[in-house]
Amino acid sequence: MASNPMHQFTVNRIGPEIKIEGIDLSFTNASLFMVISASTILLFLFLGSKEKKIIPDKMQFIVEMFYSFVAKMISDTAGSKAKPYFPFIFSLFMFVLFCNMIGMLPYSFTVTSHIIVTLIMALFIFIAVTIIGFIKHGFKYLRIFVPSGVPTVLLPLITVIEIISYLSRPVSLSVRLFANMMAGHTMLKVFGGFVVSLGVLGGWLPLSFSVALTGLEILVAFLQAYVFAILTCIYLNDALNLHH
Amino acid sequence: MQEDFKTRLKIAKSKIKKQFDNDAEKRGSFMGTAFKLGTELVAAVAVGTIIGFILDSWFDTKPWLIIIFFFLGAAAGMLNVIKAANKMQKEK
Repeated sequence: MASNPMHQFTVNRIGPEIKIEGIDLSFTNASLFMVISASTILLFLFLGSKEKKIIPDKMQFIVEMFYSFVAKMISDTAGSKAKPYFPFIFSLFMFVLFCNMIGMLPYSFTVTSHIIVTLIMALFIFIAVTIIGFIKHGFKYLRIFVPSGVPTVLLPLITVIEIISYLSRPVSLSVRLFANMMAGHTMLKVFGGFVVSLGVLGGWLPLSFSVALTGLEILVAFLQAYVFAILTCIYLNDALNLHH
Repeated sequence: MQEDFKTRLKIAKSKIKKQFDNDAEKRGSFMGTAFKLGTELVAAVAVGTIIGFILDSWFDTKPWLIIIFFFLGAAAGMLNVIKAANKMQKEK
C-alpha cells in the first residue's frame, strides 16, 4: 500500500451505501474533503469579516486581500461588464484554491486530482458562458466562429477550426488542473517512497528533493487556481464583449 | 570623491534590486500563462480527433473523417496558442 504512488487517489465510501435508481450516491472521502474545503472557506471568510474595522487586523487583511485580488483580476481581464459574475468567480477561485491547498496536507485527499471534478466545473463554466453569450448577443454570438478579414474561400475551413478551438476549452481547462495536481502528488509520493527504500544512508537526496517539490507543489496549487479563475474571466470576456 | 562613488553605487544597486523584485512579481503571472499553452495545444487535437471519430461512426466513412479532423484539431490547437500568445503580448 505504502509503495503504490497511485493509492492516494482511491475513492473510498464513508458510512452507509446510498443508491438511488442504480446511481451510487454514497458519501465518499472525496465528498468529505469537498465539505471540509467549503466549510474552511466559510469559516475563514466569516472570521475575516466578523469585525468590520477601518484598520483591519491580520485575518481581515488576508480576506480583503483575496477579495481585491479576485476583483482586480476580473476588472483587468473581463472589464466592468463582468462585475455581476464576481460571486461566481470568487467562489470558484476559493474552492479550487482550498481544495488544492488542503490536498497538500499529509493524509488528506486532493479533490481536484480527479478529472470528473474538474471536468464538471469546466463544463459548467463552458455551458454557462455559452448561454450568457447567446442571451447578451442573440444569434450574433455565432460570429465568434467567423473571424473578420478572412477570404471567402477559406471561410468554411476557418469556421470549422474555430468551432473545434471553442469546443476544446472545457477539455483544456479541466485537463490542466487535473493533470498538474495528479502529477505533482504522484511525484511527491514516488520521492517519498525513495526515501523509505534507500534508508538512512542514501535517503537524504530524495528527502531534499521532496522538500523542494513540496514548495513547488504549493506554488502550482496556487497557480492552477489562479489560471482556472483567470481563464473563466477570459471566456466570460469573449461572451460579454463581442469583438468581431 | 570616495564617498560620492559609494553613495552612487548604493543607489544603482538599490535600483537593480527594485527592478528584480518587480520582475519576480510579474514572473508569477507569466508562469501561469506559460502553464496554459501546453494543454491548449493538446486539448484541441484531442477534441478534433474525438469529433472525427464520432462523425466517422455516424456516416460510416472510416477512417477518412478522423484523419481530416485530426489535422483540423492540430490547426485549432495552433490557433489557440497563437491567440493566447497574442493576449500575453498585449498584456506586457
